[in-house]
Amino acid sequence: MTNKIRHFYRDASIWSLALLGVGLFMAIPLLVVLLSLAKGTGETWAHLTRYFLLRYLGNSLVLVGGVGILSTILGVSAAWAVSRYAFPGRELVVKLLYLPLAIPTYIMAYAYVGFLGNGGTLVRIEEMIGLSPRGIDFMNLGGLIWVLALSLYPYVYASCRVAFSGLPASLRSASALLGASGRRYFFTVALPLATPAIVGGVFLVTMEVLNDYGAAKYYGINTFTTGIFRTWTALEDLRSATYLAALLILFVLVAVYLSRLARGRRSFVTQSVPGSERSGRMVARGWRRWLVVVAVGTPLFFGLALPLGQLLWWVSGEPAWGISFSLAWVGLQSLLVAIAAAVACLVLALALVFLSRWNQLDVLRPISKLSVIGYAVPGAIIGIGTIGSSQLIVDFFADNYGWRIGYLFYGSSLVLLYAYAFRFLAVAYHPLEAHCLKLGKPLAEAAYLLGDGKLRALRKIELPLLVPAMVSSLFLVFVDTLKELPLTLILKPYDLNTLSIAAYTYAEDEQLGKAAPPALLLILLVAIVLWSISFGKETKR
Amino acid sequence: MKLFILFAFAAVLLSCGNPSAESATERDGAEEKTVTLYTHRHYDVDKEIYAAFEKETGIEVKVVKAGADELIQKMEAEGDQSPADLLLTVDAGRLVRAHEKGLLQPITSAAVRGTIPAYLRAEDDSWVGLTKRARVIVYHPDRVDTSKLSTYEALADPEWKGRILVRSSGNIYNQSLLASIVAHVGEDAAKTWAEGMVTNFARRPKGNDRDQVKAILAGEGDLAVINTYYLGLLRNATDEQSAKAGNAVKIFFPNQDGRGTHVNVSGIGLAKYAPHAEAATRLIEYLASKPVQERFASINYEYPANPKAEISEELKSWGSFKEDKLPLTKLGAMNRAAVMTFDVAGWE
Repeated sequence: MTNKIRHFYRDASIWSLALLGVGLFMAIPLLVVLLSLAKGTGETWAHLTRYFLLRYLGNSLVLVGGVGILSTILGVSAAWAVSRYAFPGRELVVKLLYLPLAIPTYIMAYAYVGFLGNGGTLVRIEEMIGLSPRGIDFMNLGGLIWVLALSLYPYVYASCRVAFSGLPASLRSASALLGASGRRYFFTVALPLATPAIVGGVFLVTMEVLNDYGAAKYYGINTFTTGIFRTWTALEDLRSATYLAALLILFVLVAVYLSRLARGRRSFVTQSVPGSERSGRMVARGWRRWLVVVAVGTPLFFGLALPLGQLLWWVSGEPAWGISFSLAWVGLQSLLVAIAAAVACLVLALALVFLSRWNQLDVLRPISKLSVIGYAVPGAIIGIGTIGSSQLIVDFFADNYGWRIGYLFYGSSLVLLYAYAFRFLAVAYHPLEAHCLKLGKPLAEAAYLLGDGKLRALRKIELPLLVPAMVSSLFLVFVDTLKELPLTLILKPYDLNTLSIAAYTYAEDEQLGKAAPPALLLILLVAIVLWSISFGKETKR
Repeated sequence: MKLFILFAFAAVLLSCGNPSAESATERDGAEEKTVTLYTHRHYDVDKEIYAAFEKETGIEVKVVKAGADELIQKMEAEGDQSPADLLLTVDAGRLVRAHEKGLLQPITSAAVRGTIPAYLRAEDDSWVGLTKRARVIVYHPDRVDTSKLSTYEALADPEWKGRILVRSSGNIYNQSLLASIVAHVGEDAAKTWAEGMVTNFARRPKGNDRDQVKAILAGEGDLAVINTYYLGLLRNATDEQSAKAGNAVKIFFPNQDGRGTHVNVSGIGLAKYAPHAEAATRLIEYLASKPVQERFASINYEYPANPKAEISEELKSWGSFKEDKLPLTKLGAMNRAAVMTFDVAGWE
């Protein structure tokens, strides 16, 4: 026992304290939700466990599995094709492959039905070329998996691309010298080294799937999340709904634990500077050329061209909304909020990554992992948790000092920004963590040996090396915030309007022609940002 | 990167700047110049009507759009510091719920009481219905013999096995319909009806109301249960495939020989802690007035709640019908029972 105290005394540092502080600050809504486990279930619990919970849970598991597998295949093969092979227009394709992420899942879901369904574009084309007009029923579990995978695979693609482009060329020459074919190099060297990146990407995809509400509802697929909403809004039992959300969080905690097990104790440190793979990009020949075309063509066609085409078709029927000043203003507001959220998330994520690195106390180690759970909690539940916790503060000031500071919370974007940070911390955290694992500690340790402090080593060595991952983090949070819906709906001040809200409110009311322009502007904004930033060294040198 | 950070600062400043400026003008002025509206409606015509109100009275309408459940939750959490003056929903059930949670106060306006019929108002006038929508049967005239259509209850007959299209039970309009059936015939009979409907489904419930009509045209089923204004919107859509689907079906108002066709309302309630109750009441009066009611109806194909207001040509062509005059407060009270009945009957 005294030994333990001695160790604690030896290992505790200012960094540990800071880690605890950041962790607690980010955990408030989570604690509010988890505390509901102690309060127990609400009055409809028996009804919902008897009639729908298991079935909904089953659907969610199939969905998570299906989307996870499909998005891994799409993301890894696209990332490999653009990292390993040179082909005309590659630079453009590299960026285009991120764009499906800019299409909110529910818009993608509507677009697919608009294209394939009854009275859709396909039917129109069939009529035009004289075939019997028949729509394809896409509103089923398979359709939902397809739609979600195509709008979410960029998470896997993004993290894999960082990983693949960081592979040193020496690894490949070594494999080639030992007689390994290209295929073997991919499966036995590159893929295993990219495992943390893939796991990180799939984790984000899974969280998004668990959070999806709009697409599942439209397709009539009942999932755990639609079940939470049904319990809350239709059965009017907020307590059971929050209880379900808390269970979902526990479920995610298990998933996080499993992903750590999968990583095990293996080391993913590579010795060379990232970015050297680029020099040895090959030109694909023969059947490989077709493989490359399929690997990048599939996601680009089904994830981008098809939904974009459908959106443009809808817009063409609604000339009034085409370009309007109010839409531009909504776009600007979205842009500002999304950028603020992205920066906030990046700063917090960096703090978590490095503080937990510098922290020597084992007890505090899980904090960084726990703080990113917010991503799995349905946005509406976070919204309620956030309002609940800010209410405590507002009441405190009202009761003790007579200050009415409610307006600060309900009339400004501060609470909204905090909620975004809580929700999207995981998105910023995972690319950083994966990249940090690959960097390892040797460089920083060398700096410490030479007498540099932690902060100086961070500024001079580690941060510059992390730039590609940081850009990736910023971008992902930016896109996610732009698309975010439930949190924004609940927490936004009255005068804030975002593109995703505009798109959703029209789509929900079946006015797709009016939903399309804000959705298109959202995609355009993401495209502009995508083209104005550079993902690391690739375009710099 | 630099630009990014600069933007971030601008955003934070912007977000901090608003509230302080707000509270200053807000709390000092003796005359109420603004009114804050929490709304679940998101039609363009609403925006135009608020603008017209502003022009007429000088009172600015600040709009917060979100789902009714979220808005109620928000009002509850905000408590006596809530900026909300009014809550506008697309169904009566949510207004009843807000009332039960003590979030509303009576509207003291003789004008409103004089224009909107009693069955479309709360008992204590804490909310009033503004527009009505009927939940009706639409059918394909070649495949359905009109003489076989009569009531909602009759749709559970074996006659319709595999022929009925309807959206999921998560939808509030279905919940309200079943709530009205529970109120009229009791929970057991309602359950038997829902089970009969499930056996008669042409396909698993999915999509929205418009998708059901399109599915009739495509031959996936012969009849559907939908809201009236979706039919109006479909028939007048610029997209010719939608218009084709809308024109391929005919409308049938059920239960005409009995209690009448189920109607729900989009309605408005006055918030308990409304900072601008007076201005809010003026807005309600404005929305209930004849000319405004006519605009609501004509553009969105809804029925005005004010009986003096004229209905649009499209609605006239559907003919008049007898509506179910069940007090709408009942829909709210029976909503949960209805949802549980759906679950038991297996209506997804």
